Amino acid sequence: MQRRHMKSRVVITGIGVVSSIGIGKDAFWNSLLEGKSGISPVESFDTSGHFTHMGGEVKLFRPEEFIPKERLKLMNRATQMALAATGLAMEDSALTPDVLSGARTAVSHGTTLGTVTTAEKVNDLLLAGEEIGYELFYQMPTHAASSMISREFGFTGPCFMFSTACAAGNYAIAYAYDLLRLGRADVVIAGASDPMSRLEYTGFNQFKAVAPEICQPFDKDRKGMMLAEGAGILVLESLENAERRGADIYAEILGYGLSCDARHMTTPSVEGIAECMRKALREAGITIEDVDYISAHGTGTRANDKNESAAIKAVFGRLTENIPVSSIKSMLGHTMGAASALEAIACTLAVKHDIIPPTINFETPDPECDIDCVPNRARKQAVNIALNNSYAFGGNNASLVLKKFTE
Amino acid sequence: MTLARKDTPGRARAEEAGRDIVVTGIGVISPLGIGREAFWKGLEEGRSGFKEISIFDTSEFSVHVGGEVSDFDPESYIGKKDLRILDRSTKLVTSAARLATDDAGLDISDDNTHYTGVSVGTTFGSLHSIAQFDLTGLREGPRFVNPSLFPNTVINSPASQVSIRFGIKGFNTTVSTGFCASLDAVIYAADFIRLKRAEAVLAGGVEELCEETFRGFHTLGFLSGADGSPPLCCPFDARRNGIILSEGAAILILESRAHALRRGATVLARISGYGNSFDPAGSTGRGLCKAIELALGEASLDPGEIDYISASANSTQKLDRMETEVLKKVFGRDAYTIPVSSIKSMVGETFSASGALSLSAAVGALNNGFLPPTVNYSERDPGCDLDYVPNEARQKEIRKALVISSDPYGSNTAVVIEKTRR
Repeated sequence: MQRRHMKSRVVITGIGVVSSIGIGKDAFWNSLLEGKSGISPVESFDTSGHFTHMGGEVKLFRPEEFIPKERLKLMNRATQMALAATGLAMEDSALTPDVLSGARTAVSHGTTLGTVTTAEKVNDLLLAGEEIGYELFYQMPTHAASSMISREFGFTGPCFMFSTACAAGNYAIAYAYDLLRLGRADVVIAGASDPMSRLEYTGFNQFKAVAPEICQPFDKDRKGMMLAEGAGILVLESLENAERRGADIYAEILGYGLSCDARHMTTPSVEGIAECMRKALREAGITIEDVDYISAHGTGTRANDKNESAAIKAVFGRLTENIPVSSIKSMLGHTMGAASALEAIACTLAVKHDIIPPTINFETPDPECDIDCVPNRARKQAVNIALNNSYAFGGNNASLVLKKFTE
Repeated sequence: MTLARKDTPGRARAEEAGRDIVVTGIGVISPLGIGREAFWKGLEEGRSGFKEISIFDTSEFSVHVGGEVSDFDPESYIGKKDLRILDRSTKLVTSAARLATDDAGLDISDDNTHYTGVSVGTTFGSLHSIAQFDLTGLREGPRFVNPSLFPNTVINSPASQVSIRFGIKGFNTTVSTGFCASLDAVIYAADFIRLKRAEAVLAGGVEELCEETFRGFHTLGFLSGADGSPPLCCPFDARRNGIILSEGAAILILESRAHALRRGATVLARISGYGNSFDPAGSTGRGLCKAIELALGEASLDPGEIDYISASANSTQKLDRMETEVLKKVFGRDAYTIPVSSIKSMVGETFSASGALSLSAAVGALNNGFLPPTVNYSERDPGCDLDYVPNEARQKEIRKALVISSDPYGSNTAVVIEKTRR
C-alpha cells in the first residue's frame, strides 16, 4: 500500500497497568499467563441490595505511592489509576523529562464513566443534606483523567478524551496512531481508565447481565459479565522517534477499524462487528490468513459471546478453527473503558513473547460459540499479528491490529 | 512576524483540492433560535437568549437565569419513537442532526452509510441521567431502578442515537474535552475525511442545561449573579463577573469537497486549518497561542490575513483577559484592527457545545457578510482593548475566520475556516 510508505510507522515502547491481577506490566502479564483471577467480593460500596456481590476491584492500589498526597484530593479514582499507569508506562519506556520534548507529546485517553464515582459522592452528600465541596465539582468533568495526565507530566501536545464506553480504550489508541501518522506528535500516551462504580453495577444487574460467581466467556453455561476497574496505558511513538532514542520496541500498530451498528443501544450486531473487523484488516493491509490471535471483547454475556463468535466466523470462515480467540475478561472482569486498553496491552505482550493468554473458567463448549477460546491455560504459539476487538453501548465498535515488530 | 510557510505539508495536502474539507450544512438548536437561519438572524440582531430557567427547580441556588432552549419540540424533528426515554442531550443533538442533514440535503442510505460518520463533543452529556439513575438506586434500592434508563447513562449515548436514528454506520465517536469538546470533535471528523476513512461526517457538540451541571458551576463560583446581583453576560466588559450557563446543540455536515461536488451540495465554507495544544499550568495563554499558530500554519496563512476572530470569552475575568493577551501576542498590531467578538454574550456558556455554535456563527459571518456582535458591552476594561464589535452586528465581507476554544484544565483548540468556491 503506497500510503503506508509516506507516513510514519507507529510502535509501542512502554506499558503501564493498574489492574486487579497486578500493578505494573510484569505482574499483569505473569498473572495473565498463570490464568489468575482478579475477582473478589465487592468492598467499595454496599451490594446487599443487588443480585450479585462479586467484582474486579483493584484492592492493592495505593495511590499515594504514585501521586503526592496533597494533590490526591482533587483526583477521583479513575484519574488516580490513570496517572499511576502513566507513570509506570513512562518508566517502562525510559521516557525521562529530558528525553521528552514536551511540545510534541500528546495524550489520547478513553473512559466509559471515569468521573461517575464523583457524581455518586455528590449524591451521597445531597441525600445526607451535607455541603458539597468545590473539589468534587472540580473533578467532575469527564476529561479529568486525560487532562491530569498532561498537567502532571507537563505535556503540551493535543489532549483528547474519548467517552465511547466499553470500546473507549481502542478509540484512544486508534487516535494516538492517527496523531503520529499525521505528524502532530512524536509520542502519545494512549490508554483508558475506569473506576468500580455502583451505578454501573446497578445498571448491569438490572439488565440481568452479571454473573454471580465467575465470568465464563464462550462457555455454554456462562451467566454474564463481571464489573471491574482498572487503567491501561501504552506509550506510542513514531518509529523514527523510537529508533533515534534507542527505545525498546514491544510491537507495532498496523491500523484499525471503527464501525457503528446503528441499530440497538446495547445488543451488538453481528453485521456491525464483522464489518469493523474487515475494516481493520483492510486498513492494516492484511488478509484473514495473517491473523494469529484475536483478543475478543468476550464479556461473558450470552448475547455478546454468541454474536462475536458468529461475526468472527463470518469474517474468517473456515480459518476460524485455526485462530485462537481468548478473553482476558475471564480473569479481569469487564473494566469498562479500560478493557480494550488492557486487552491491547495483552496483545502487545502476546506478539512480543509468542504466548497467548487463556480464557479461564471454561468448562463446557457452546456450539453457538464455535471458536478455539484457548481454554484455561496459556498457549505458547507464534503470534505475528493480533486483532483486538471491542464493542460498546451505542453500537460503537473498534478493532485494532497489532504486529510483531520487525525492522 | 510571518508564520505562513507556503511549502508546508498542510499546503501540499490541501493542493489535492478534492480532499478539501468543506461544510455543506448546519443544524442548530440554541437559546437564540432553532435552525441555522433563525440562529444567524438572532446573532445579527444581537438578541439575548437568557431567560428564567424552567426545566428544573433553581430555588436552592442564588441564580435563576440561564440560556434555556425554549419552544423546542423534539418530536417534530425526530418523531415519536422512544422519545419518552431519551434524555434532553439526546433530543437536542438528534434534532440538530436532522436539521443539519436537511440543510445539506444529505440522505443516508446503504450507498453511503459505511463512509458516513458521527463525531460529537459532549462532556456532561449524561450527567443528569447518571445522577438520577444513581439517586433512584439510593432512594428506592438498586432493584427498583428502571433498566431502560441505563443506556442513557453513557456519555456516548446522544451521539449513538444519532447513528441509530439516521442509520449511520461508518463510525461514531464521542469526544469529551470540556470547553474544547465540539471543536475537537470537528477536528477528529476532519481528520477522518483527510485520512479517507469517511466522505461525510456529522460533527458538532451538545450540552444540556440541568441541575447537576448548574450546581457544579454554581459551587465552583463560575456563575454571574451568585452574589444576588442580576446575572450579566458581558464578555470583555469591565463589569464581567461570571458566566450565564446555557445549553444547545450544533451539528455541521463536513464532507470532502469531491463528495460534495459529486452530489451537487452547496458548500458553505472550507476548514483550512486546525490545531490543539495543552497548557500544563492551566490557562496561561501559552497553549492557546500554540493552537492558533498551528491552525494558521496548516492553513498557510499569516495572522494578518484573518478577517474575524470568534472568541470563547465567556464574561469571566480570567478567560476574557487571557484571550485578549493571546490575540495580541499572535497577531501583534493586527490584533487592534481584526474584529473579535464572543457570541457567548448572546448565547451564553454552552460548555461542550460552544465551539460548534461559534463555528456555525462564523460560517454565517462568512456567508452573510456580517460580524456577530459582543452585546452588553458598555464599560471598557483597559486590559481588554481590542475591537470587540460592541453591541451591534457589523456588515462586512469576510473571507477567513478563526474560531478558538480554551478549557481551564489546559486544552486549547483553534480552527480556521475560509470562504471558498461553491
